[in-house]
Amino acid sequence: MNTRILTLLSAAAMALPVSAFGQDTITGDTGGPPDAPNKLVFRMTSDGPRNNDPVLAEGYSKLFNAFVANHAGWQVELQMMSGDISQEQARMLEQAKSGNAPDCAAVDSFVLPLFKKSGVLQSFSPYFKKEEIDQLFPFIRDGVTGADGQIYAWWWSTDLRVLYRNTEIIPDAPETWDETKKAALASVEKGMEGILFNGGRYEGTTFDWLANFWGQGGKLVDDAGKPIFGEGENREKFIKAVNYYRDLVESGAAPKRVATIGNYDDFNAAAAAGTSALFVGGNWQYNQLKTVLEPEELAKWTFSRLPGPTKDERSTGTGGWTVAAFSKDPAKVEMCANLAREIYMGPANELQEQLPTRADFYSTYKIFSSDTNKAFGEALKVGQARPGAPVYPEISNQIQIMMGKVLTGAEATDAAVDEAFKASTAAFGRL
Amino acid sequence: MTVRNATFERPMAAGLARSSRHDAPRVAPWVLPLILVLGLFYLYPVFDVMRLAFMRATLLANDGTYTLSTLIDTLSRPELAQILWVTFVFTASSVVAQQVLGLVIALVVVRGEGRGLFGTTIVRTTALVAWVVPGIAGGIIWKMLFNEAPFGGLNSILRLLGAAPVQWLSDPDLVMWSVVLSNVWRGTAFSMVVMYAALKAIDPVLYEAASVDGANARQRLLHVTLPQLRAAILVNMILITIQTLNTFDAIISLTGGGPGRATEVLSLYTFNIVFRNYDLSVGAVLSILMLAISLGLALVYAVFLPKGDE
Repeated sequence: MNTRILTLLSAAAMALPVSAFGQDTITGDTGGPPDAPNKLVFRMTSDGPRNNDPVLAEGYSKLFNAFVANHAGWQVELQMMSGDISQEQARMLEQAKSGNAPDCAAVDSFVLPLFKKSGVLQSFSPYFKKEEIDQLFPFIRDGVTGADGQIYAWWWSTDLRVLYRNTEIIPDAPETWDETKKAALASVEKGMEGILFNGGRYEGTTFDWLANFWGQGGKLVDDAGKPIFGEGENREKFIKAVNYYRDLVESGAAPKRVATIGNYDDFNAAAAAGTSALFVGGNWQYNQLKTVLEPEELAKWTFSRLPGPTKDERSTGTGGWTVAAFSKDPAKVEMCANLAREIYMGPANELQEQLPTRADFYSTYKIFSSDTNKAFGEALKVGQARPGAPVYPEISNQIQIMMGKVLTGAEATDAAVDEAFKASTAAFGRL
Repeated sequence: MTVRNATFERPMAAGLARSSRHDAPRVAPWVLPLILVLGLFYLYPVFDVMRLAFMRATLLANDGTYTLSTLIDTLSRPELAQILWVTFVFTASSVVAQQVLGLVIALVVVRGEGRGLFGTTIVRTTALVAWVVPGIAGGIIWKMLFNEAPFGGLNSILRLLGAAPVQWLSDPDLVMWSVVLSNVWRGTAFSMVVMYAALKAIDPVLYEAASVDGANARQRLLHVTLPQLRAAILVNMILITIQTLNTFDAIISLTGGGPGRATEVLSLYTFNIVFRNYDLSVGAVLSILMLAISLGLALVYAVFLPKGDE
């Protein structure tokens, strides 16, 4: 009897997912009729129905439901990436090389060159109009275009780094490195921690800091993708930018713990706890601050462009996400392009207030006409994407190692920079 | 006598031969699946790693040629000495601390049980809770505790006590010990379970005899308990050494290997080479190095294992 009950319970448990698949809705795993003759496997980040924010999750569910409703005969299976993006992207590249990649996937813009170089992506050119492609910002268009002139992904969102400050403690926006140091020291005198930034073993450490190098006109790699940041003028600019961060820590303008920070959430936490009045963060954090701060506290916070060695030598790093197709089936490639267009190119930007990559969307979508988003759009004018070189991830890794040594005072800046350059050059030789 | 034995034994030997001939065809179907599973899921990846170690394969390209240059280049990398030193400090400290603490907790629990004290099960369960926490989660928990922000876990407690905050993760000289502490917290339970089982297996008659001989508690520990635990301690040391050498999940979520390379152990370095640098061949050489270190240490421990007649 007990065995029979157990068998029935097991059968019922096994049937549960089947009934969930049977619904014509996005369940978090699958959308569309289960008997649909075609199926598209899409691997996504949290930019989808499984977003931790229930409002965004619901918004994405609606978009995906509308998408499957528009494409009769198709079912979409959703796969979720973990938070370790570098590892996820490397694994996906390995899967693609062995022919086991999903049909369609979110590819981080900074590893897109690797995917393009390895020849695993399918061309999107037949599925996007010239007018749509022409509307892309130039650095975005360059990023998705292959050596043959075809586009191999649709880069739908971008972001940038800005300097957040509590205006009650720091009324004026620092525009230069010196002003930033003075403002941070003034905040320390008022009981704050000083300026916070990523300084741990984390991609954000490299990317947020690179603006200080780029602002001076520094170049990480040459046209062939070979590291050159440790040679000639580039080396001088590089060391100058590293010493800016080093000086912030050694002068007390930044706490030593910046060498351990590898997460933008730490800045939100410090803002919420009222322990910091100045941090280098991403544009998306403005919306996050709205949720973690009381309205009267939020009113004290604003942002400005990242400072440079002089007012005229400023830059900011721009990243973002793309959608790309791995499938060799043209119908699935087209469906992937449709998904990029109908869900991500515009609707998802609006839903998540993620900056669009098409210039016309800043007027098409009302939300991007707000003062905040206009200011972000203005800062994008000095934006710079990470170099489209396969060696970039290793350069970034070496910069993170170098930054840890410098910020903790474990090694002289010159020596640490030279080590990073030597290791990056060696990695280039092997790729 | 000899002749009689010989005639007596012949039919038995013949019977055995017949039996083995009869059984032989039936052994293969049972053993073959095991050989296939072992070969496919264990040996093939090892051979593949060996093959990759003698190539110049990355995630982007593999020219298919074989070379010794990857092996030589990898083993002569300037950072490798520091990585191995960090790995040694991390592994040795963790293994010694886990072994000692595991033994102490097991002794306390066994003694408590012997006296019928309340709470011994709670102590065992509490220690096991840390063990079942996944490495990544353990790293995040300790990251929150070691957070050096004014609202960080341990520093907040220190401030309440009037003590100065500690740079748990940003001081390059201290960060390794913070990482060891988090690893010992997680790994002690395993040693405790092994030591507990071994302690329960010691014949109580030995303690009775020692008491009759007038041995005090310290003498009973040194001359009865520890010699009886020798095999269990060595087996435990082998297991936790290999386990610690392979640990990288807790470190990657706690420090990412930083600041700089201060906590970058060999397993994490290998992970970074493959997943950040996309270099499969260098990753393969480092994996073989890890395998060699694990096997070497296991052999060293095995030498000290008591033999069957001891």
